[in-house]
Amino acid sequence: MKKLVRNPILVFFSLFQPIIFLLLFTQLFSNLGRFIGSGTLSYTTFATAGIVLQNAFSSAFQSGTAVVDDIKSGFLAKMLATPVNRSAILFGRLLSDVFRVVAQTVIILVLAFALGVYPATGIIGYLLVIFTVAFFGLAWSGISLALGLKTKSAETVFGIAGALTFPLLFMSTALVSQGFMPSWMQTVSNYNPISYAVNAIRVLIISGYDWSIILQAYGVIAGIGIVTLGATLYLFRKVVS
Amino acid sequence: MPGIIDVSQLVKTYGDGTKAVKGITFSVSEGEFFGFLGPNGAGKSTTIKILTTLLQKTSGSASVAGLSVDSDAAKIRKIIGVQNQDTVVDEDLTGRENLILQGQLQQMHASAIKERVDDLLKIVDLVDAADKRAGFYSGGMKKRLDLATTLVHNPKILFLDEPTTGLDPQSRAAIWAYLKRLNEQGITIFITTQYLEEVDRLCRRLAIVDLGEIVAQGTPGELKQEIGADSISLGFENSTMNGSDTKTKARQVLENKFDGISNVVDSDIGLTVYAKNGSYMVPELVRAFDEANIRLSTIGVSSPTLDDVFLKHTGKRIRVEEVSSSNSRGMFGRRRR
Repeated sequence: MKKLVRNPILVFFSLFQPIIFLLLFTQLFSNLGRFIGSGTLSYTTFATAGIVLQNAFSSAFQSGTAVVDDIKSGFLAKMLATPVNRSAILFGRLLSDVFRVVAQTVIILVLAFALGVYPATGIIGYLLVIFTVAFFGLAWSGISLALGLKTKSAETVFGIAGALTFPLLFMSTALVSQGFMPSWMQTVSNYNPISYAVNAIRVLIISGYDWSIILQAYGVIAGIGIVTLGATLYLFRKVVS
Repeated sequence: MPGIIDVSQLVKTYGDGTKAVKGITFSVSEGEFFGFLGPNGAGKSTTIKILTTLLQKTSGSASVAGLSVDSDAAKIRKIIGVQNQDTVVDEDLTGRENLILQGQLQQMHASAIKERVDDLLKIVDLVDAADKRAGFYSGGMKKRLDLATTLVHNPKILFLDEPTTGLDPQSRAAIWAYLKRLNEQGITIFITTQYLEEVDRLCRRLAIVDLGEIVAQGTPGELKQEIGADSISLGFENSTMNGSDTKTKARQVLENKFDGISNVVDSDIGLTVYAKNGSYMVPELVRAFDEANIRLSTIGVSSPTLDDVFLKHTGKRIRVEEVSSSNSRGMFGRRRR
């Protein structure tokens, strides 16, 4: 945690892209918003959910490079030679990742608030949005952690992250509504977990507690989490034994 | 008597079939300063990893302080300090915070950590830099901090894998001085290194490993004695005297008056004499040549070094590596100026 505070540059630069999206992208498309999804709402209000999630997405991929760094630098070995609990090392990593994504989300939400975005569900809505993002971040970081532990190469994790980010993001409801997409892409977005998480955050911001959408998202995220974190735990055990 | 480290028939075969350690046996007694030497790829690091519970052995037995590395790994971790080949300090944290973090990883009480950290900063001379971030430290300072982190929990045994490689001579000397003091306080030290002169001075016992096997072990003195004789090189002022060859005359002197000479050979400047305890022989040699009116221009004794021992057992000179690496450091130093 201290590490993050000491590294404001890292936090800032990983926020750079979402902030650019928030400030420029939403302005660029502000007149188009009506057509691509937001209806009568401002496009900024519509896109905030997607941008919050995009940030969680890229933030989660930093976990994998961090774990590679720990292995390569010998830091992991140093920790392993102490009596500290094996799983505590992994949970500490996950906890600090969640903390980071929460801090970043708060910054984005504050900026969005300055641009006039306030959730329909109020303060509780803010908390639920942050919880949803943290939950997603946790499950998603499992992918990069597993990749990092398996390949032990930061470049690979980075490359795969880069290759996944835009297709998954654009073929989801993060930045446009489903009605705007060609039909094949609608099908893809139906199977895209990003869409589910975005939809849950979006209803919290735009309309209210639509529990069927929110719980569906939690179900999807939990499913991903079990697979990715299960794989992470398995690979971590292999690395430390 | 069982040692504090007992290794018997230890074997490690990696998943890809590489046999890194092929059945080594050795024992280190409590309070010893034990050197573990070998060329790159000899199996030194693998052995250290097994002893520090970071790697599982394939077969054989290994125990640390009477605890098995398989079943009592958690207990072993509480009483050992481990320094890896790479310097591992968190550069975003200050020196003090690094030590506190390590104390927490060692599950010490906060009050005990605070006290211990203050002591350690003094021991490794980092009091002034304690509250600066480690990222701003020099290489030698980082290494000292790294060493201090391994000592936070008052370990009984310290495992050090090449702790001074890549350091400038001054920092190296500092590290060795700390290690010497720690050993005098009763900590058992198990070290791998390439610096043979330091091993010679500080290690009470050592083992030389090559290709996964121990090829020699003993005290530095014992190992050097195995090599046999010291060499005494003699230079003469005149190549001839009274019409006859000086060397021939000198040989006669040596033959008539001295026992224990194993061999005499011609050299560029005169003769080289091989003998046990060569240094004791020097005064007598000088006197004998003086009586025979043979004038010496030079006389020098060199005893076998650990490098000779290393060469004999592994067929490689460890020195070469050291020289080349210190050269490249020198070049960097110049470039920076």
